[in-house]
Amino acid sequence: MMPRFEIIFPDNLSDALSVLSSGHEHMQIIAGGTDVITGLGQGSNRFKNTKMLIDINNIPEVNGIEIGREKISIGGAVTFSDILQSEFIERSFPLLWKSVSTIGSVQIRNRATIAGNFVNNAPCADTVPVLLVYNATIVIESMSSKREISLYEFLSGPYKTKLSRNEIVTRINIPIPNKNLNGDFYKLGRRRAVAISRITLAVLADVNSESKINEIRIASGAVTPIGTRFFDLEKIAKGKKADDQFFKDMAGKLGEKIIEVTGLRWSSEYKLPVVQQVFYQLLKGIERG
Amino acid sequence: MEVRFKLNGKEVATATASNIRLIDLLRDKFNLTGTKEGCGIGECGACTILMDGRAVNSCLVLAAQANGKEIITIEGIADGDILHPLQRRFLSNGAIQCGYCTPGMVLSASALLSQNPDPSEEDIKEAIAGNLCRCTGYKQIIDAVKETAKELQLKQ
Repeated sequence: MMPRFEIIFPDNLSDALSVLSSGHEHMQIIAGGTDVITGLGQGSNRFKNTKMLIDINNIPEVNGIEIGREKISIGGAVTFSDILQSEFIERSFPLLWKSVSTIGSVQIRNRATIAGNFVNNAPCADTVPVLLVYNATIVIESMSSKREISLYEFLSGPYKTKLSRNEIVTRINIPIPNKNLNGDFYKLGRRRAVAISRITLAVLADVNSESKINEIRIASGAVTPIGTRFFDLEKIAKGKKADDQFFKDMAGKLGEKIIEVTGLRWSSEYKLPVVQQVFYQLLKGIERG
Repeated sequence: MEVRFKLNGKEVATATASNIRLIDLLRDKFNLTGTKEGCGIGECGACTILMDGRAVNSCLVLAAQANGKEIITIEGIADGDILHPLQRRFLSNGAIQCGYCTPGMVLSASALLSQNPDPSEEDIKEAIAGNLCRCTGYKQIIDAVKETAKELQLKQ
């Protein structure tokens, strides 16, 4: 049963921010609504104080995908389906395109937004590991301030972020990666569609012609409490030769690191070998380029 | 609050509350009970409708969010008494058993065919991946969509 609330549809950013700046503890921003409406309907604690929804879909500042020379800028209300329709994203950000194409179902992707994915910050948010390896930053605005921070910094814990109640995520900026960066995204769920991911991994690497790793970026989701980067491992790998033995070592180290972050769980015995094998396969992929 | 939208080709206006879902408005206010509620959380697709030509779960849309949109439900897909080709092919292929998933399946398939008149089997599976059917095992449904695509292409 739905609780009682109001809904408003501001048609510009300053109106939305001005409403948010007063009494925001009872307000909830909504765009796709695939998390918010189910949360409200199921009486989720996270939405129990909601007295007003602010639908941001009509605000031009949070819409559209802008392609620049050095980065793309995706609006906070841009849906997954909008992203899948962008040939530029498919070509220049193949891991992002792939992760988006595995989310939910057509119906979900037609409503749900990429910003909602990381603002909700479920451990299993599929685009998070991918946005992390692409070094995404997000633009956050309130009545009195505008700031841009890295997504890595933005995510603070399961279902928790650095977003204040009076702020809106207006844009997601992603630097266009250099052409030498190759990689892949892997997702394991219990059903092909509309499944909660159990394991997600993203790897992006620049390996030179002598098989030396110039740069590597590694991120996970679902197996860690929130999507996260593995900066320690990335540092170890830098400058190393990309060969089979090294990949096996790296896969072992990733497993240790995940145990370190999450602690041993009943499922570790099942999940770890899979994570390690998948990670090894992803690394073999970058070796081939 | 008042919402106005185009429903199955006709402009409508009605009073509703902020916390009413679109599925409830369609079923309770407009008596369009072809839109079914299965899970209520966007997993089963029984409540699928078309909003501005895109398939969406009407259990995950608030009635107020339909304002200004074009909505098509299963009742709006036939041409009067003449069934839509998808509906005919679902019947002739035995793609219907209990019928609960059918409205959603037909609308998901119709959204697919309007964007992609010549879908591969993989495209069809992807388009209906958000619609659960517990009777048919999907084969008949996929066959029905394939045959409809062929039929519509021949017509053009």
